[in-house]
Amino acid sequence: MMTLIIGGSGSGKSAFAEDYIVSLSKEKKKYYIATMQVYDEEGEKKMERHRTLRSGKDFSTIEQTVDLKKSTEKMEAGDRTALLECISNLTANEMFAGEVPETEEVVTEKIVKEIETLNKEVTHLVIVSNNVFEDGQVYDKTTMAYIRAMGRINEMLADMADEVVEVVVGIPLVIKSKNA
Amino acid sequence: MKLIIGGYAQGKLNYVLEKYGAEASKIFDGEIPENIEEKRGIVVINHFHNWVKMKIAHDGCPEREIFEFVEKYPDCVIISDEVGNGIVPIEAFEREYRERTGRILVELAKKAEEVERVICGIGQKIK
Repeated sequence: MMTLIIGGSGSGKSAFAEDYIVSLSKEKKKYYIATMQVYDEEGEKKMERHRTLRSGKDFSTIEQTVDLKKSTEKMEAGDRTALLECISNLTANEMFAGEVPETEEVVTEKIVKEIETLNKEVTHLVIVSNNVFEDGQVYDKTTMAYIRAMGRINEMLADMADEVVEVVVGIPLVIKSKNA
Repeated sequence: MKLIIGGYAQGKLNYVLEKYGAEASKIFDGEIPENIEEKRGIVVINHFHNWVKMKIAHDGCPEREIFEFVEKYPDCVIISDEVGNGIVPIEAFEREYRERTGRILVELAKKAEEVERVICGIGQKIK
């Protein structure tokens, strides 16, 4: 079972995603796959905020900024669920890890394939992604390639997912229903 | 309190005026009034996100002010753009503005008796 959750900055998507996976995990072991690379105070604060949000919810955290497939090696055997947060960081990390940016096609294929594998390893996978598509700006070539990669990845994940939820001002709106 | 959100130029104010009546409404543009003398009619706060931005720029506390305001005027309508659906800005101030506006809207949505998202002038009730 796979759920894709999408929303903008400050939309409340993380809080919703966490509560959601807690509600469906019950006794299963819960993993939080963190993709954010921290290089400054602001990133530090952001991570701290997320950590506080998660505290008391009994997550085991796996830091996996690239190469998502390696995350399953860090999990214990048995019934388990995972919350992957988030696709925008993962895509940026994969794209800009080397000296020159990786192409959008390579990044898209790699991420989608690795998520496909991860999805088979857990009973429920919840993925958080970002709506980065509606500011109407034209950025430099690399940023536009990044936005297209994000769009394509979201599209493919939504197709793979059993349900897709958009979070708007903290309110979940089901845009693909598992009962459909 | 009612919260109306949506993208830029989606006809949010028109939607509100049609729904609640233009004559009956007192519209404040990017401003939260300190005191409203006239007791009749609905208080409409338009371009709420601009007010948040201005407050942050002046090191104010928009969170405290707006939550106090909605306590005092429980019948108001707040209209705001959704500003978080884009690429994370390079400038720190812009990032803070987007993030804080989003979080304030989440809190207002919790307090609101009704939340509508307006697109192409059409209201979609989401709460």
